[in-house]
Amino acid sequence: MQRRTFAKMLAATALAGGGMAPALAAEELKIGAIGPLSGGGTAWGLALQRGVQLAIDKANAVGGLKIGNTPRKLRLAMVDGQYSATGGRTAAERLINLEKVKYIIGPIGSPASLGAVSVTNAAKVLMLSDGFNPNILKNDANAAYNFRVMNTNHEFGPSMIKWFREHYPQVKKVALVGTNDATGQSVLPALAKVYAASGFETWIEMFDRGTQEFTPLMTRMMAQHVDALDLNSNSPGDAGLLLKQARQTGFKGKIWQIGGPSVEEIMQVGGPLAEGFLSLEIFNPGDPAFQKFIAIYHAKWSGVMNSQTPLWNNAAEMLFEALRRAGSPDVDKVRDAVEHLGGYDPGLYGPVVWGGMAEYGVNHQQLLPFWIAEVKNGKEVIVDTVTPEKG
Amino acid sequence: MLSPVLLGQVLVNGLSLSAIYVLIALGFTLLFGIMRVVNFAHGAFAMLGGYALFYLYGVFKLPYVLAVPLGAAIVAVASLVLEFLVFRWFYQKMLQSMIGLLGLNLAIEFSAVLVWDVYQRSIPPAFPGVIRLGGLILPADRLMVIGIALVVLAAFWLFMRRTRYGLAMRAAAQDVEIAQSQGIDTRFVYRLAFVIAIFMAALAGGLYAQIYSLSPFMGDRPLLVAFVVVILGGMGSIPGAALGGVILGFTESFLSTFYGASVSSFVSFGVVILLLIVRPWGLLGTPESLRP
Repeated sequence: MQRRTFAKMLAATALAGGGMAPALAAEELKIGAIGPLSGGGTAWGLALQRGVQLAIDKANAVGGLKIGNTPRKLRLAMVDGQYSATGGRTAAERLINLEKVKYIIGPIGSPASLGAVSVTNAAKVLMLSDGFNPNILKNDANAAYNFRVMNTNHEFGPSMIKWFREHYPQVKKVALVGTNDATGQSVLPALAKVYAASGFETWIEMFDRGTQEFTPLMTRMMAQHVDALDLNSNSPGDAGLLLKQARQTGFKGKIWQIGGPSVEEIMQVGGPLAEGFLSLEIFNPGDPAFQKFIAIYHAKWSGVMNSQTPLWNNAAEMLFEALRRAGSPDVDKVRDAVEHLGGYDPGLYGPVVWGGMAEYGVNHQQLLPFWIAEVKNGKEVIVDTVTPEKG
Repeated sequence: MLSPVLLGQVLVNGLSLSAIYVLIALGFTLLFGIMRVVNFAHGAFAMLGGYALFYLYGVFKLPYVLAVPLGAAIVAVASLVLEFLVFRWFYQKMLQSMIGLLGLNLAIEFSAVLVWDVYQRSIPPAFPGVIRLGGLILPADRLMVIGIALVVLAAFWLFMRRTRYGLAMRAAAQDVEIAQSQGIDTRFVYRLAFVIAIFMAALAGGLYAQIYSLSPFMGDRPLLVAFVVVILGGMGSIPGAALGGVILGFTESFLSTFYGASVSSFVSFGVVILLLIVRPWGLLGTPESLRP
């Protein structure tokens, strides 16, 4: 009798629970994200995590993202891509198979993006990534489900080098120092070609990721009589150390970075030695929209805000708008909506512009405006605004 | 490309690199030599030394000559908690210590991420600028590291050779049981060796962070360097650590300058592999078969 009563109670509880489930359980939608959360690129990984989180907070603050007629609470599932091909692939597999996500923001860097894209296209998972390697978009799947939401050296390189030629006509030979991996091996030769087209001579040197002692490399570089050093796609940590040790070994030429960007971190590492450093910048701290964003960021986190943060926030806002327009979480519909986002203004970088057909065979490359910044009197100052050449 | 100035610069770079590598490796080899502990948390203690110097010198503006040893001493004394909780269980257990302390390394690193975030910081240079000697360029902070490395090496050698505690440590390293039977408090000796080893790791970490940069992950490279230097010189051998550091420093300087960084890494690690095949106990180490 007692057993029968207990069974009835159990059944009633199960029925009640089942009946109440749709009313009580909030509809949740996981947004996957991959970025380096360890090693030299960690500042970028945190930028991605925090940029996306701020967009999620904004959507959740008004009751969730309305997809069709259903508001959905968003939740971030962030995985460390370790800035490596293995890390990127493993992270993507984990997000797809364990977390069951359908949309991924990131990874950062070519190795991780190449590793992840081999998994996401096959699994029909939408990916909005970074990475300078052309093959991230020029892949076997013809980038069916992946987009790149950050300019690469192909987009900003020619415009920046043209700018450099005009402003520093005395520079004849430029050193390109980068990592001996998928990033360095694709970026350095490509950049060298663009430099050569603008009349510069180049000297290329690669080092193993994780190296901290660059003094011998700098001695080798100075023996080549270069006039400028381009830190190109180096992570904030590596770029800061390269700058610091170049100055400590007596290099007096111009140091700049067609890539990154990570001016704040380089100023942290280089201290007064960072004076005069020129860099690509992907946000304008003087712009009221960015100032508002910085204030929101600092209400939640202290310390330096990496300049990639607003860019990943922008990418998340684009994804959310595509979900709204698709009216359904169906990946194909969302992918189509992302493709048709042209003209939509997420709020920080102006209307979305897609390009890349000439270079990658698919219009999945976002073209973002960018700036050139210089460290003057220990502060980052925007010295010019540049627009990428549409390909 | 080869010129007397360039060759001189390669030697200067090699000397400064050697000094850094020797400093980093000393604490690592000491723990192994005395307690047979492979301290894979070495890099984490170096990182803590970096943060200690950051606060004492960079934030609280203590005089540099005081901040450097005080920072290392604070880390060493505070680490006695970890000696009690973790390290003492791994004494004389080489393989277990590798895995256990690798875990400790990760735990300390990610605790540091929670406390200090991941951003790289710089510790203000105590001796900024460069000294130019003919065509040679000598960064002042590197000269300081060479000086500190020489002082530490000499002090450490004197301690081990000329003091009763040094004698007790050497006795415990040779045979714990016989040392105990001679009245040596080996528990105290182990704890003392631990404090000295962590002091040196933290001291090296402070200087390393000042020369390069400071972040929770800054200890990964010093750990790798310490391991290579100690394997090269011989696990547990103090002169071996000095020799290994000098060989690695000069090799890296020469090869990186003339053949590039990748060739340097390839050759350096290739030499270590070769040495492990033909002389696994290192250049100045003792074969396991001859250990008591």
